[in-house]
Amino acid sequence: MLDSLALAVSVPLIGALLVTAVPGRVQGLGLLAALATLATVGLVTAEVWQQGSLRSDLGGWGAPLGISLAADGLSAALLAMAALVALAVSVYASGYFSRGETETHFWPLWLLLWAALNGLLLAADLFNLYVTLELLGLTAAALGALTGTRAAVEASLRYLLVGLLGSLAYLLGVALLYTAYGTLDMALLGAAVRPEPIAGSALVLMTAGLALKAALFPMHFWLPPAHANAPAPVSAALSALVVKAAFYLMLRLWLDVFAPLVTPWAAGLMGLLGALAVFWGSWRALRAERLKLMAAYSTVAQIGYLCLFLPVLTALPAGDAREDLLVALLLMALTHGFAKAGLFLAAGLVQRSAGHDRIDDLGGTAQHMPATTFSIGLAGIALIGLPPSGSFVGKWILMRSVIESGQWWWIPVILVGTLLAAAYVFRVLSRAFNLEPTPRRFVTQARTEVPALLLALTSAAVLGLAARPLWRLLGFEGGL
Amino acid sequence: MRRAGTLVIGALVGLLALWLLWVLRDVLVPTPRLAELALQELPNTGVSNPVTGVLLAYRAYDTLLELAVLLAALLGIWSLGAASPGFQPAGTVLRGMVKLVVPLLILTGGYLLWVGGHAPGGAFQAGALLGAAGVVLRLAGDARAGLPPVPVQRRLAVAGAATFVLVGLATMAFGTGFLSYPPAWAKWLILTIETAATLAIGVTLAAAYVGGQPVPRSGEDGPL
Repeated sequence: MLDSLALAVSVPLIGALLVTAVPGRVQGLGLLAALATLATVGLVTAEVWQQGSLRSDLGGWGAPLGISLAADGLSAALLAMAALVALAVSVYASGYFSRGETETHFWPLWLLLWAALNGLLLAADLFNLYVTLELLGLTAAALGALTGTRAAVEASLRYLLVGLLGSLAYLLGVALLYTAYGTLDMALLGAAVRPEPIAGSALVLMTAGLALKAALFPMHFWLPPAHANAPAPVSAALSALVVKAAFYLMLRLWLDVFAPLVTPWAAGLMGLLGALAVFWGSWRALRAERLKLMAAYSTVAQIGYLCLFLPVLTALPAGDAREDLLVALLLMALTHGFAKAGLFLAAGLVQRSAGHDRIDDLGGTAQHMPATTFSIGLAGIALIGLPPSGSFVGKWILMRSVIESGQWWWIPVILVGTLLAAAYVFRVLSRAFNLEPTPRRFVTQARTEVPALLLALTSAAVLGLAARPLWRLLGFEGGL
Repeated sequence: MRRAGTLVIGALVGLLALWLLWVLRDVLVPTPRLAELALQELPNTGVSNPVTGVLLAYRAYDTLLELAVLLAALLGIWSLGAASPGFQPAGTVLRGMVKLVVPLLILTGGYLLWVGGHAPGGAFQAGALLGAAGVVLRLAGDARAGLPPVPVQRRLAVAGAATFVLVGLATMAFGTGFLSYPPAWAKWLILTIETAATLAIGVTLAAAYVGGQPVPRSGEDGPL
C-alpha cells in the first residue's frame, strides 16, 4: 500500500536526515532529495486530480484518537506550487552557496523546512498543525540567520520570537477547542463547533497567532528585515512559501472549521486589515531603497490582497460565483508564490553581481544580466496583475465578485494597490534599463539564472493562460 | 517608557486570563474527553503505559515531527558558529562526584527507557537524563561534554527520527500503513524507536548545551 501523503512528508525528512549524517556529499544528496520530494508531491497531486480528495489514517487509529493526513484541491495545488518553487530554490542554492560551511548548514535545515511545509499543507489535526508550525518557524529562523551578519541574526531572532508568540496563541486556541469539544480532528471539529464564546475565543486567538505569522498588517513589522537580510534562496522560500503556509491555515480555519461562527463583521475586519496592508505594503515598497526590501514589503501587500477575499467569500452564497472566487484566491496565492520566489532569486543575483542592491544605483548592473532583468520584469508583471498573469485573472474575478456581493468599497483598494505595484515595479525597471549598451549573452550563469527565470515566467505567463485545471482540481464545474 | 509598556502588557495578559476564565467557566469540569477511548484501545498498542501509548502509538507521527524539531534546533545552534572553549578542569572533589554521578545518570536513563512500556518513563525522560550527564561533564571541564567525535554526533542526532521514519516506511511497505505496527511486533518496534530516540535526544541536548559547532579534540580537553 503506497501512502502518497505520508511519503510527501517522509521523503524530504529522510533527505534532511541523510544530509545531516553525511555532510560530505550535501549538495548531491540534497538535490536528489529535492527531486524525490517533487516526485511524491506529483503523486499526491495526480491522486487528488483523479479522486477529488485523499485521506490517510496514520497508525490505523483514525480520528479522534489518531492523526490523519488529508489532501484536497486547495492543499494539492499549494503543495505542487511549493514543490516547484522549492526545486527551483534548491537548484539555485546549489550554485549560489560556495562549497563549505554555509552549504553544510543550509541543506539539512532547508529539507526540514520543506518537510514541515508539506506536513502543514497535508495535516488534518489541529495539534499536529502546531508541531508543523513549530518546525517551520524554527527552520525558517535558522535559515534566515545563515548570512551571519548582525542585521540578519537580529532580524531572525525577532522572527523566531514573534513566531513563537504566534504559535503559542494558536496553541491556546487549540487547547480551548479540545477542552470544549474533545477532539483535534478538523473535520470532526467542523461538525461539532457551535457559535458560543469558547469557540469564538479560539477563533480569535488562532487567527491572531496566524496573522502574526502571516505578517498581516499591522503585525508585519518583523517581515521586511527578516526577509531582506536572509540569503537570497532563503528569502525566496520565506516570502513565497512560509508566509503563505500561515495564510493557508487561516483560510482553512475560517472556511472549514469555524464556518458557522464567521460573521460579516469579523470577515470585514480581516478585509479592512488586508486593505491597509495593500496600501501600506505597496507604499513602503515604492519608497524602499533596496531591491530585497522592496520585494519584502510587496509580500506584505500581497498577503493583504489574499485577506481581501475573506469578506467577499463570506458574503457570497454557495454556488458558481463563490467557486470562481475560491479559484481566484488560489490563483493569486500561486502566482504570488512563483513571482515572489523568482523576484527574490533574481534580486540575489543582482546583489551578488553589484555587491549591493540599492535600487537607485542599479543602472547598468542589472543590464549586464539580461536574463535576470527579464525575470524581474516578468515577476513584476505578475505582482502588478497585468495580463496574462494569474493575478490578472485573480483580480478580475475578485472585482466581479465584489460587485456581485455589493461590497463596492473594496474596488478602490484593488485599483490603488495595482497602481502602486506598477509604480514600484517600473521604478526598478527604469533604473535597470539605463544607458548601458546591451550585452550579447542573455544568460550569464545558467544554474542560478534559469530557476529564477522559470519561476517568473510561470507566474507571468503560464498560470493565467492555463488556469482552467484549477477548477477541476478543486472539484468545481465552471471555468473561464 | 519601558516600565509603562511592561504595565500595559501585564494588564492585557491579565484581561486575557480573566476572559479565558469566564469563557471556560462551564467546560472546566473534568470530563474524560478522549481519555476513556485511549485507555480502552491501550491493549492494541503493545504498551501498557497510556502516556507511551499516546506518544508512540496513537500520536506517533507527532512524536516523529517533534524529534525533527529537536534536530532543527541543534542544526540551528550549529549554524551560528563555534562553541566557547568550556570551563576550567574541575577540582578533586567535583571530579570525584562527576565520576559517581555520570554513570548513575546513564544507568537511570536506561532504566527509564525500559520501564516506559508499562510505567512512567520513556524516551524523552531517558534522553533528558543522558543530556544531563553531558551537561555535568561539560561543567566539570570536558569541552565536548563527553560526546563522541563530530561525525558520530551527527549520526546519533539523526538516529531517533531516522529509525522512526524507517519503521513507518517499513510498515507501509508491508501493507499495514504508515506507522501501523503489526500487533505481534508492536512492543519491539516501539522499544527500538524509543532506544534510538533516547540516544538522539541525549546527544542533541548535550550538544545543544555545548552551544556551537564542536571544536576538534585536543590534548588539554578535560579531566575525564
